Amino acid sequence: MPLDAHDDVPDEALLVLFANGDEAAARVLTLRLTPRVMAHAYRLLGNRAEAEDVAQEAMLRLWKQARDWRQGEAKVTTWLYRVVANLCIDRQRRARGGSVALDAIPEPADGRASAAEAMQERARAEALQMALNDLPERQHQAVVLRHIEGLANPEIAEIMEITIEAVESLTSRGKRALSAALAGRQEELGYVDER
Amino acid sequence: MSMSDKQRTGDGLGGFFEAARGHAPAPSPDLLARVLADAEATQQTGPGTEPARVRATPDGLVARFYRLLGGWPAMAGLATAALTGLWIGTSLPEGLIGPAEAVYLVDITPEMAFDLAGGDF
Repeated sequence: MPLDAHDDVPDEALLVLFANGDEAAARVLTLRLTPRVMAHAYRLLGNRAEAEDVAQEAMLRLWKQARDWRQGEAKVTTWLYRVVANLCIDRQRRARGGSVALDAIPEPADGRASAAEAMQERARAEALQMALNDLPERQHQAVVLRHIEGLANPEIAEIMEITIEAVESLTSRGKRALSAALAGRQEELGYVDER
Repeated sequence: MSMSDKQRTGDGLGGFFEAARGHAPAPSPDLLARVLADAEATQQTGPGTEPARVRATPDGLVARFYRLLGGWPAMAGLATAALTGLWIGTSLPEGLIGPAEAVYLVDITPEMAFDLAGGDF
């Protein structure tokens, strides 16, 4: 089956095709899911090289899980977010004190922004990533899922295997800590007052 | 995330989150190639090529012979036949067949015995 024939097929159906040996499904899933997995791993780890390793491992686990995938129980992306978070937490616990590779933060892809704006956006992203890395693991994960990945609280609750109230509590505490950490840099980074 | 989400943060963080969303690192072509290679390798490892399960206790000669005969039903029949044969052999009345009669019992092919003896009579 050609690649574009799979464009509108949901992840879960593609995974079934993959399990049945469909090579096009493997390519579509790779191109569709690896960027999301990679970005999420990077946001949790703050290191591109480690995020790539985690992304490869998470995708490998998905391939191995394909034959036993239970339809209707969870979205593929929900499952992947959980796997990525667990892999990242394992790495962070093994290597406490690792530094953030700020130079690994990619250049902005948007060519419309002026160079000064692009630099400022990049500085904001770096500042946020540094502040995120100082948060406790669960607050970090909840804030990233809610405010960067843009997921709804019920899905975050499913990913983190906690209640919606616990998600709200984690994101609220996480944001308070981020606000405090970034308060001194808002003016420097071009924010006077957003409120 | 929509603008309303940004506004809802209400803590001056909206712009930071937006900047972070715009700076997601894209996977390198090398990573995509590795992921796809893993996918293809997993697909090629079909159910028919899975390694055989290893038994917790390896089979001995007796166990293999037992299965070769057909398991417990065959073994039960075999044991019954053996016991019956033993019973017949041990319970045959003594003196019923004497040494003289035994000679006739083994002479089941008298014609051949005649020939072998070189009998010309």
